[in-house]
Amino acid sequence: MTETIVALSGIEKTFFRGKEAIHVLDNLDLDVPGGSFEALMGPSGSGKSTLLNIIAGLDRPTRGTVKVAGADLTTMSDKQLARWRSQTIGFVFQSFNLIPVLTAAQNVELPLLLTQLTSAQRKAHVATALRIVGLEDRMDHYPRQLSGGQEQRVAIARAIVNDPKIIVADEPTGDLDRKSADDVLTLMDRLNKELHKTIFMVTHDPAAAERASVQRRLDKGALQ
Amino acid sequence: MNLATYARRNLFRRRGRTIMTVVAVMVCVLILCLLRTVIAAWNAGADAASTDRLSTRHKVSITMQLPQRYIDELRQVPGVKAATWANWFGAKDPKERVPFFAGFAVDVNSWFDVQDEMVVPPDQLAAWKATPSGAILGDVLARTLGVKVGDRLVITSDIYPGDWQFTVSGIYTAKRKSVDRNTFLLRWDFLNNDPRAVYSKDHLGWMVSRISDASHSADISRQIDARFDIHDDQTLTMTERQFALSFLGGFAAILSAFDLVSLVILAIMTLILANTVAMSVRERTHEYGVLRAIGFTPAYIRGFILGESVLVAVVGGLAGIAVVYLVVNQGIGPALEENMSGLFPYFRASAQVLIGALVAAVVLGVVAGAVPAIRAGRLKVTDALRRID
Repeated sequence: MTETIVALSGIEKTFFRGKEAIHVLDNLDLDVPGGSFEALMGPSGSGKSTLLNIIAGLDRPTRGTVKVAGADLTTMSDKQLARWRSQTIGFVFQSFNLIPVLTAAQNVELPLLLTQLTSAQRKAHVATALRIVGLEDRMDHYPRQLSGGQEQRVAIARAIVNDPKIIVADEPTGDLDRKSADDVLTLMDRLNKELHKTIFMVTHDPAAAERASVQRRLDKGALQ
Repeated sequence: MNLATYARRNLFRRRGRTIMTVVAVMVCVLILCLLRTVIAAWNAGADAASTDRLSTRHKVSITMQLPQRYIDELRQVPGVKAATWANWFGAKDPKERVPFFAGFAVDVNSWFDVQDEMVVPPDQLAAWKATPSGAILGDVLARTLGVKVGDRLVITSDIYPGDWQFTVSGIYTAKRKSVDRNTFLLRWDFLNNDPRAVYSKDHLGWMVSRISDASHSADISRQIDARFDIHDDQTLTMTERQFALSFLGGFAAILSAFDLVSLVILAIMTLILANTVAMSVRERTHEYGVLRAIGFTPAYIRGFILGESVLVAVVGGLAGIAVVYLVVNQGIGPALEENMSGLFPYFRASAQVLIGALVAAVVLGVVAGAVPAIRAGRLKVTDALRRID
């Protein structure tokens, strides 16, 4: 039986706009088995990104427990969470979020600067990650010299370079054309199947969601 | 790549803005160094004043004179090794080649024994002692007036009427950079014997004494003044430094204004830097959110911002110091010393001023970056990721 890698229990998240309380997540439970590729869909404002942020340790729930990859995130300090994220989570964002003044290789190397690896070891990791995403010949290119699809593949290389257990992707195909989106989804599928990465993806795109092994739907703060 | 690579690349992300900020800091450092150099130059005479010399003047005012016999009494005060005197002559160049220079009528036999930072070759000093109408000039003044030893020279005076004919007996040089090399010295006895100086006959402008122990200057000063207390013309004795500062008293307001302007310049430098840093941070808030998401702690973010702020300040500071060295120390400084040595015998930005300006730039770089750095460090990751500027 596959071990649960994400276990959320009784999650509530409330934001305040002035004195008005906005309940985004309402008593939500979620178990994600390790090695799965899950897609989370739902209308705007349904709480998808908030749920993703809580799983990734970027945000804390108002109530409930969050256990991810064996760690109880609700008891961790901000500093512990930052360290945990650098070792456990790979992020893929909608708008790629590459640093424009760094080359593709340097962007991929960024998370490794927080490790004890030597420069040569970091370079080897970077080369491997870029080879996996098929951009080993674009190492010295700056983001402005890459297409949108290539930028997202560099971002995926950055997400996997520290060998995280989980990859969280927030609308990873939202800024891409169909062809590039398909390439990125194929790559994510490979990461899941060949490298056994657990992928949790938020998307509006039904075609993207179909590529996942599990589709979930969130509406008004509750999983359907 | 390392973290410094990222910080360095960020510096030139907005090349034009960074260059403008560096230039602004450079100009601030230039102005700051100029102001501090002017202040230091004004005080140079006082700062370099000998600690074992005392000046004695009339208690009421420097413009009132003392009887000639006072010099003999002064020499009898315990602790006084040697003494000399001078009168203000108010010398002027009739051809107006020099806008201002000091002219003193001094005792031919004792002046250079007490004022030993002025150096005259022995043969020229001997010639002066043998020539009542002889004069000794600073080397800078001699060069400006185009005279050499043995030349005839006509000088006029603000105080004494008519043309005064002199023979250049000697030219002095200086042991210290702060000594005015633009001074004109005539013999006191020559002035005293001239009928045009009848109202100041047998009177001294002020007396200068060299004492045996500088640590007892206050005691000896009191003893000197006590000796003349019973006379009609009472005295005020002070160290040479105090004497020099009393001349600068009239400029105190200007110097205070310069101090104030220095602070304003520092404030402007801080605001320029702070504005640049704040703009950069605002533009990169989303990026800082990404860095935080992938594991960089707030301390790293603060470090990036402060590092960038300090780096701009240091680059601007170093550029400013280079310009100060070229413009002040190699350009206007020597020109001022040559042409206005009466006011600025030594006008160079000292190492202390230059290092002080660089340290100020670094400190202000930290101050300018502190608030944006702290605010960026406190920002929630999710808020930073949402921010698109």
